Amino acid sequence: MNQYFHHLHKLLVVGLLLLSFNMYASDEFKTITTADDTEIDIRIFSAKGNKLLIGFACDQGSSVAEEKTSQSLAKDGIEVWMPDMLSAYMLPKVRSSLADIPTDGLIKIIQEAKKTKKQIYLVASGPDTGLILRAVVDWEKAHAREDELLGGAILMFPRLNKGKPEPGKPPEYHDAVGKTKLPLMVLEGERTPNRWGIGHLTSSLKKGGSTVYAKLIPDVRGYFFKRNDPNVPEDLVTSQLSGLVKASLFFLGKAHK
Amino acid sequence: MKNQTIKSLLLSAVILFTSSALQAAELKNVEGDASTPALKLESLKGEMLDLKDLEGKVVLVQFWATYCTPCRVEMPSMNNLIKKLEESKTPFKIIAVNMGETKEEVQKFVDEVKPEFTILMDSKGENVQAWNVFAAPSNFVIDTKGKVRYTLYGGVEWDSEEIIKAIQDLAAEKES
Repeated sequence: MNQYFHHLHKLLVVGLLLLSFNMYASDEFKTITTADDTEIDIRIFSAKGNKLLIGFACDQGSSVAEEKTSQSLAKDGIEVWMPDMLSAYMLPKVRSSLADIPTDGLIKIIQEAKKTKKQIYLVASGPDTGLILRAVVDWEKAHAREDELLGGAILMFPRLNKGKPEPGKPPEYHDAVGKTKLPLMVLEGERTPNRWGIGHLTSSLKKGGSTVYAKLIPDVRGYFFKRNDPNVPEDLVTSQLSGLVKASLFFLGKAHK
Repeated sequence: MKNQTIKSLLLSAVILFTSSALQAAELKNVEGDASTPALKLESLKGEMLDLKDLEGKVVLVQFWATYCTPCRVEMPSMNNLIKKLEESKTPFKIIAVNMGETKEEVQKFVDEVKPEFTILMDSKGENVQAWNVFAAPSNFVIDTKGKVRYTLYGGVEWDSEEIIKAIQDLAAEKES
């Protein structure tokens, strides 16, 4: 029965993709199955370069900016995999959905991506950045060899606090913060109070041995490329998102030298 | 016309939703004897203000930003709080510290929202850092001797009976 629903869901997704994304059609569509039979559909924007970026699609049901960005990156030689984690784990399309899902799905995707022999990078935004860090911690525990390490991760406006902020006290982060040596790029909007926490977060992330870069994007709010009410700078930066990602990958690449 | 009505309805729904979220936040007692960070800044009107000079009054120090929706929603209740405490002759002042924005941005907001309290400009965010503020709105209620007694994160209806009583109780400590 579960299989039946999965196939039905897959057909619907493929149908919607064909209807909606003619302009941005991806090259491939593949499914990965985890040990507990969770099936994760992945849209692949293939490219010939040696970098592969794993990102999360379908956040809040609107990932148009991410798809355009993936197309643009693929044209420039960076392969992009967009796994549909929300559907795979039957989660609602809200910002915090991925915060608590198990890491095995993402680890399986990384294993699959590693077979391409490309350098693997990860990208996520908001609370989803927590899943990336948890998965990387687990990955590094099991894959310590130099050639098994990942290239880095881009954390876009990361929301990694445990609980609510408390005025007058430094934030407490999720356990995975500061436990990995993965090179990290933190991108934060200038028009969000979280910008004031970048220094503290960066120091905390470095505790695991990571090289951490942090950049403040002028004049934009958090979640700028997912907003229904974007202002002019947010529209502009969203249209240049692939450039921002490429610049981030450039910096992350330098961390390995 | 129809679009305007839909827009108004949507805006009302957002405000109602945000207002109900405001009521959930509560003052949090501050334990221990940690010292209050210094706060000396220029106001939006160009006057210097030093927190030290306000000893003898209960002071609400709020860190806020124009892009923070709860900050915008709760400011009318802060105006009401001032009026209610004036009626009971409670020595009280609100200082709202803007988190690193320009005078033009803040003035535009002030013209729209009309806060009736002092706005300080922390253009470099130095006080934001010194006060360990990582979110907005972040609030500190300071007693008549200059000690932080309560903190509160998030929007709240400042003119609620509970908050008025808490401030009056702090002011009464001075007299006793």
